[in-house]
Amino acid sequence: MRVAICEDSTLFREGLARLLAESGFAVAACVDNADELLTHVAQDPPEVAVLDIRLPPTHTDEGLRAAVTLRERHPEVGVLVLSQYVRVSYAVELLGGRTEGVGYLLKDRVSDLAEFAAAIRRVGSGGSVLDPVVVEQLVGRHRQPGDPLGRLTERERAVLRLMAEGRTNMAIAERLAIAERTVEKHCTSIFAKLDLEASAHDHRRVLAVLRYLNA
Amino acid sequence: MATHSTGTTASPRSTRTAASRSTGTTASLAVAAGGTWLLVVTVLGAGQEVIWRNGLIWALGALAGLSFLMIGVVIAREHPRNQVGPLMVLLGVAWIPQQMLFLPEDPLWALALCGVWAGVACHLFLAFPTGRLGSLSHRVVTGLAYITALVLSAAQALVLLPLPEPLRHIAVALDDSSWQAALLISGALLVLTVKRWRRASVTQRRAIAPVTGASIVATVAFAGDRVADFFPPNPLQLPAALVMLAAFVAVPLAYLAGLMRSRMDHGRVAELVVHLSRRERPDTLRDELAATLRDPGLTVGYWTAEQDRYVDADGRPVHLDPGPGRAVTRVDQGEAPLAVLVHDAALLEQPLLVEAACAAAALALENERLTADLRARLRQLAASRRRMLQWGESERRRIERDLHDGVQQRLLSVAMTLGLAEAAGAAPGRAVPLIGEAKAAVLAALDDLRAVSHGIHPPVLTERGLAGAVKELAAVSPVTVTVTCDLAPAGPLPQSVETAAYYIVNEALANVTRHAAASKAWVRLARHDGHLLVEVGDDGAGGADPARGSGLAGLADRAEANGGRLTIDSPPGKGTVLRVVLPCA
Repeated sequence: MRVAICEDSTLFREGLARLLAESGFAVAACVDNADELLTHVAQDPPEVAVLDIRLPPTHTDEGLRAAVTLRERHPEVGVLVLSQYVRVSYAVELLGGRTEGVGYLLKDRVSDLAEFAAAIRRVGSGGSVLDPVVVEQLVGRHRQPGDPLGRLTERERAVLRLMAEGRTNMAIAERLAIAERTVEKHCTSIFAKLDLEASAHDHRRVLAVLRYLNA
Repeated sequence: MATHSTGTTASPRSTRTAASRSTGTTASLAVAAGGTWLLVVTVLGAGQEVIWRNGLIWALGALAGLSFLMIGVVIAREHPRNQVGPLMVLLGVAWIPQQMLFLPEDPLWALALCGVWAGVACHLFLAFPTGRLGSLSHRVVTGLAYITALVLSAAQALVLLPLPEPLRHIAVALDDSSWQAALLISGALLVLTVKRWRRASVTQRRAIAPVTGASIVATVAFAGDRVADFFPPNPLQLPAALVMLAAFVAVPLAYLAGLMRSRMDHGRVAELVVHLSRRERPDTLRDELAATLRDPGLTVGYWTAEQDRYVDADGRPVHLDPGPGRAVTRVDQGEAPLAVLVHDAALLEQPLLVEAACAAAALALENERLTADLRARLRQLAASRRRMLQWGESERRRIERDLHDGVQQRLLSVAMTLGLAEAAGAAPGRAVPLIGEAKAAVLAALDDLRAVSHGIHPPVLTERGLAGAVKELAAVSPVTVTVTCDLAPAGPLPQSVETAAYYIVNEALANVTRHAAASKAWVRLARHDGHLLVEVGDDGAGGADPARGSGLAGLADRAEANGGRLTIDSPPGKGTVLRVVLPCA
């Protein structure tokens, strides 16, 4: 899988390149600003572009804007945004109603190599990845008494969180050490309790859950 | 320009119409009254022969009667609601029988009425300067003076009649006791006069000094004259009578002098105008007004709409509870409050002077008001700045403590754990868990650092500016928040304004979540005319009070420290709307 990296901090950029190479990815480009990344992707599209949010020249939100542009111009290229901080509003903006081939993670997540590599592969193959911190913030909004989320069981809430993170039923089953069939049952129950239309497609399911959480 | 007076010792303000009365008419009336008086006295028997025989003392007596009558007419015209004028006229008329006593044979009617003027004089002295008898003691002494004057004069006349016993005996006894009665009442009058003087303020004393002085001398001389009269013949009889008459002439003249002086007071208003135009230091307005109004204790308060109260020239609040002897006069410009004067209650007697002085000083008052307003704002700003500095200081301490207790400790433990792993290098089974431990500690340190950085400056503000940061606040708020941003492309907002607005929205939304029990909220950011409006509203319980809860006070401080202003509209049960306007030109 070919990956392009856009990160202005040399230390992190080189570290990331080494890490990806180590995990069996081909590093197609290693640049330090958004314009170069866009140019490179246009010339030689990789399967995934990994980019930081704060990039030159203003070090504000160049990376986020570049990610949105990339997703518009090159729907086939997966986009994974890495950042020191994660924000609900950024996630909403980044996804923009389409959860295919997109990811948003804290930079910290690179420390779990296997998990990080799996996330890139998921984004590269059209799936989605959302940082648990963002999911937690979204779930946290629904703490008021009377919220339908309160009707979910402890286990159902755990499943909901993992769904929102973009994980497949199989991955959820593995994570919670339960059978895939059980996960499916939980999903049906969750969708019924939250009055959501159940969907077989993983990415539509993620979208429905995120829409619900962000409503 | 309008003035409204209220005071603890305020008398009803006389609407003075004297200005419209012509001085000529007043003078003619006074002269006519004097002429009539002389005519009456002459017709009743005081021929040339009588006048020549008694010379000086007759002339002095006539002068006393005439001056009371004529000046009484003038005062009655100048101050129609003041009883002093009519009392003086009455005294002048009551003087006529006294003037008859120079005839070869005292007419009985004159004898019977010759003491009445003393009662009126006592009334006049006690009623000065308002024309009303203030307290019970004043009324009692005045009443006694009238009774004594009437009874003793009557007794004096009755003694001369062939009365049957025991009436004659009673009349003689009464007549014999007249000097003691005169002494007693004069004494009481003196005590009350001195008491009034001691109670009077500096400004009041200035106004009543001439008349009080003359009336004290007149009272003492009157008592002396009565005593000397009772033990004839004695060498003191004539001097005592002369002194008494001279003092009685002086009383109305002193009153006239006071009247002239109040006219001159008005003249000082013209001086005030000149002084104000030449003023070099702007903060002397109070002193100028104090000099014009002759009230050294004058306080001037200037209206600040911002704080909804009056402040002095330094911006400190002015207390409008004037206390005894002081009164408050409000000075307005059109409908808008301009200033207040806290002045001596005696000035209520001269409303026109106060009004004229305020009118003359209107422009200077307005200037001074602006300056005072500015000083009041500075004072408030300094206070909120101090609180913000303290807040900043405690924040820095907190950050230092967080770094010390969190990140530094964790990194230290990482170094130690890695040291152990290094030492265990030969035994990989032991090194791997140590490395995992070190990794976990580093990630925890990253978490700590994120929290600390957020405390220093919200990263989202750096990345997305105010609009994006507020959207993020709305996105994580448990209450549904609608955000409208009308920041227009008027260039970037100053960073301090962005930060202030961010924290205001943050705190306001936190309040909505904590207290309002709201189902929805909204945030509106709008920029126009060099101001940023930050509005946070909800449909919750309302009843928010900045006086309680430090959260709202903190918001007000933040707004003020940035030159802005916080208003809260929070009727109970009808939601809360918090508005902050921040200058951002």
